[in-house]
Amino acid sequence: MAVLGMLLAALGAWTAIKLGPSGEVHFSATSKATGAVAVGPDVLNSLNVPVRIRATRGDGGAVWLATGPSDDARAVLATSAVSTVSGVHYPAGTLDLRSSGAGALPGIGTSDVWRLRTRGSGPTELVVDQGTGPETAVVTSGDATALTNVTMTLTWHERSWFFKALSVAVIGAIIAAFALGDLSHSRHTSRRTDGVRSRRSRVSA
Amino acid sequence: MNRMVRAIALSIAGIVSCTSVAGCGAAQAALGIQEPPKANTASAPLTVDQAERILSRELAAAQQSEATTGAAAAAALRTAYTGEGLRAARARVKLAAVRRAGTDSPLLAPQQPRLLAVSRGFGYPRVMVAQTVPSGGLFPILHLLTSPDAATPYRISASATMLPSSTIKPFDPLGQGSPLTDGTELAVTPSVLLNVYAARMAFPTKAVANPPFAADSFSAQVRAKAAAVAKAVVTQSSFSQVHKVVPDSVYAVRQANGDALVFGVIVRTDSFAVKSGQAVNTAAGKEFVLLSGKKLSTKSASITTLEFVVFAVPRSTGQATLVAASEQVVAGSGS
Repeated sequence: MAVLGMLLAALGAWTAIKLGPSGEVHFSATSKATGAVAVGPDVLNSLNVPVRIRATRGDGGAVWLATGPSDDARAVLATSAVSTVSGVHYPAGTLDLRSSGAGALPGIGTSDVWRLRTRGSGPTELVVDQGTGPETAVVTSGDATALTNVTMTLTWHERSWFFKALSVAVIGAIIAAFALGDLSHSRHTSRRTDGVRSRRSRVSA
Repeated sequence: MNRMVRAIALSIAGIVSCTSVAGCGAAQAALGIQEPPKANTASAPLTVDQAERILSRELAAAQQSEATTGAAAAAALRTAYTGEGLRAARARVKLAAVRRAGTDSPLLAPQQPRLLAVSRGFGYPRVMVAQTVPSGGLFPILHLLTSPDAATPYRISASATMLPSSTIKPFDPLGQGSPLTDGTELAVTPSVLLNVYAARMAFPTKAVANPPFAADSFSAQVRAKAAAVAKAVVTQSSFSQVHKVVPDSVYAVRQANGDALVFGVIVRTDSFAVKSGQAVNTAAGKEFVLLSGKKLSTKSASITTLEFVVFAVPRSTGQATLVAASEQVVAGSGS
């Protein structure tokens, strides 16, 4: 029990430090392939908290970022070359990218399927709220050049995670303290009992 | 006793911590991890804000197309309209120079746009129904905006001015969306309604027994005008008028009470067969001259007009009622 308590305390403390008081967790990956980058509902809608998507081109060019219903996004992207974010790794903070398609991306900016959209000349961010999924976020070039060498960062921010991690650390510490106290008390009692037994055995002899 | 209390406390703490931290479901719930949601097919594919932004964009482009000229007007037309709506708008812009005074497009007047309905579900085509109320006492205009697929934005495909005293019954809430219907549950299917209505307006007149629609001022005017034209040209040419429903132009949007609002486009062809030895001077018809390039016809002439009609169709029994109609000459030819 003492070991379990110490493990919980260590895990909770480490997670709380890693998250920080703001409760933020970041995942990043750089797509070197030419073409759009998509974040499907398996990742985008996997947590019931808003997700901030940040896209930065290696060449500093403009970025177009949007999110819309997954079926529509799939239809719009069709067979174009797309790198899809297929998984996240915690605590490594990395994203898996899976490439598919080969064609050039049509002008998807004129479509009306995008619930949220933004365009920036440098690093560009879009905060996607939950509740209207399943949705897919799409990142593509905001200018005439093709999108390549783009770094994607997904950030989830939930302040309560920090306090939950802190709670786990505190509970673990309490369990460890109780268990160690109990262990120490048991040893003390056992030593005293052994002493009494040996004295009695000497008297009776 | 003290030891027993500690043992119980430890057991409870252990159980709580194990179930809340190691227990997978509880940990997922604590972090807010969820399965990706399924698409709600009983909702509109657009948020209300999104739909209103699209409507504003389209109406702004429509106004711009009529207020500007040249390449800017052409680009605005392509942004605002599609299909027969685009054909009519292009003709309206082209004929603006010969338009009679006081007949400017109502789109030029300041409007109060109102989004009435958004189609339900994530299939295609998707539609929006909107109403604009021009200032200056003009009648409201109903607009149908359509998007045929995910890659193609919404465009105005039909606009029709509401008839005096006509009203539109409410649709389901915008967030919920209003389903498109093939009309099998209605008193008359939309395609049958439009085809019978088109046939009824032909000249020479064709009798239609038990029409599924009530008499209306628009068709009465069209037929009266056809009769007047036939009478005016009787010595020089014969005259006939044919109305045909434009394929794939019919959309029926269900209303909250189960009725439906049905949009359709009918193409009207006025045909003149000039009698032998006659020559018809068409110079007075400025629209015809501009469209056909002919001031004199010796054999035949034809004028093509698009008629945009909107019917209120009851759910189970009763006649459909025409609630809005507009027409636009789009082509002319002569020989």
